[in-house]
Amino acid sequence: MFAAPITRRDSGRVAYDKPIPPKGLHTQPFWDGAKEGKLMLPRCRSCNRVHWYPRLICPFCHSTDIEWIEGSGAGRIHTFAVQHRAFGGWAKEVPYVTAYIDLAEGDRMLTVLRGVDAEHPETIEIGAEVRVEFEEADEDTHIPFWRLAEAS
Amino acid sequence: MAANLKNAAAIVGAAESNEIGYPEERGPKVTSLQHHIEAIKNVSDLTGIPISDIEGVFSTGWSQQIAEHLGIRPHYLDTTTVGGCSFQVHVHHALAAIHAGIIDIALVSHGQAGWSYRGAGGGGRPVAGEIDPGTEMTIPYGVFGAPSNYAHAMVRHMHSFGTTPEDFAHVSVVTRQWAMLNPRALMFSKDTNPFGGPITVEDVMEARLIAWPLTLFHCCLVTDHGGAVIVARPEIAKSLRTRPVWIAGAGESMGHQNMLEMVDFTATSASRSSAIAYEMAGLGPQDMEMAMIYDSFTITAAMTAEMLGLAPRGKGYTLWKEGHAAPGGRLPINTNGGGLSFNHSGMYGMQLLVEAYRQLSGTAEDGVHGIEGKQTNARTCVVNGTGGTLSTTGTLVLASDE
Repeated sequence: MFAAPITRRDSGRVAYDKPIPPKGLHTQPFWDGAKEGKLMLPRCRSCNRVHWYPRLICPFCHSTDIEWIEGSGAGRIHTFAVQHRAFGGWAKEVPYVTAYIDLAEGDRMLTVLRGVDAEHPETIEIGAEVRVEFEEADEDTHIPFWRLAEAS
Repeated sequence: MAANLKNAAAIVGAAESNEIGYPEERGPKVTSLQHHIEAIKNVSDLTGIPISDIEGVFSTGWSQQIAEHLGIRPHYLDTTTVGGCSFQVHVHHALAAIHAGIIDIALVSHGQAGWSYRGAGGGGRPVAGEIDPGTEMTIPYGVFGAPSNYAHAMVRHMHSFGTTPEDFAHVSVVTRQWAMLNPRALMFSKDTNPFGGPITVEDVMEARLIAWPLTLFHCCLVTDHGGAVIVARPEIAKSLRTRPVWIAGAGESMGHQNMLEMVDFTATSASRSSAIAYEMAGLGPQDMEMAMIYDSFTITAAMTAEMLGLAPRGKGYTLWKEGHAAPGGRLPINTNGGGLSFNHSGMYGMQLLVEAYRQLSGTAEDGVHGIEGKQTNARTCVVNGTGGTLSTTGTLVLASDE
């Protein structure tokens, strides 16, 4: 089974200093999966379509029969931007690339994109393959980030 | 004299969420969002009206998030929040909208986890300690405010249509030309702002990067503003000393709330809100003699011009690049100097309205708000506001007396 790389923090390191989302009531399977390096995605049992972000009701067919499946962790760049102005923990990272990722399973996620050259956005290709990886932000939160796939 | 709305609409079903009262005594804590969605699902099941048939969403301040969660794109949005009587007011507004023929099916929705999130405030929105899942999945990723989001749309437009940042820079350059005719514009001259006065494409491109490909001069100003307009029925409008500008058409729509749900990054719901407004007016884009288009960023104005049918898809920027939008051009756009060079207070829709009124009433050069050359001879104007992150749109088709 596919398991994405996880960046683990040892106790001596500086704490994760970027925004960590509060956990809502409707997303626990996602965060549970992330701790194991799995990209869990909501899929409607009625119409079989994956949607993102997680819903209480399928935005395509309005069934409330929704399950969580393990995603492949594969996607492609839909669009991107290079952030030169940021705040908090992200401020010291500028410039960095943010991107919307078309998931292999359908629908789209937001990420800070890794493995690309923010100083040369002309080298970043829409449609390029990306893979998910996880970074441990705190004990309960492993945040998925996407990285440009290695050219094979 | 009010129209008689008697029996113009009826309430056809009512339902509640699954666990009300003290839900925690019987199971997990419930969120306000969950109360909304369950009640909506239940009333849909009860009436047999599919959720996808809902055309208008009325709720206390949160209508676009509810619509997005449902995956619907209503063309009537009401977020009136006036306390406990809000829902009676919503029914009243829905009655009016239905009577007017704007929508046939309205949803009035309430969800408030008053007990589950007691002490946290509320008002029918998610409260402290509650978070909607779209926000939850966006927070970690280093986007801050409008420019960081809008840049993604410009990059996708460049990819889809072969446009360049230089193409969009022309929007800034031309809009500045209008600002130089408006002494109230922040960028009127070097005297009003060190960055004021004429600018070139090179100036725009060489300005500090905010979110590539957006430089500072691709972005709107941050200023103060106050504005107001009065709308009155025709008999009154004709009796006043001021000239009426008629609301020939009006439409609204939404594409998304969270940019995660923006299906096409090169398109907004302005195509739909303008289609509604044009149809109401019996006019089309070819009949518009000027336009006031929300220009939070150069990409916003150029893309919206395409949505309004003023230019072909992918070619919105040519209105500026070829000088049509400029002073003396065939289709003046943003004659106040725009959000880019006149004024942008955060919600710029009022500035659009004030200038459209002044232009169509012949008062755009009153010695204070414009100098010679600012007044156009336009008799029709399409006005389009864009809200959120290219999320919601409102379009007006305005016309002067002949």
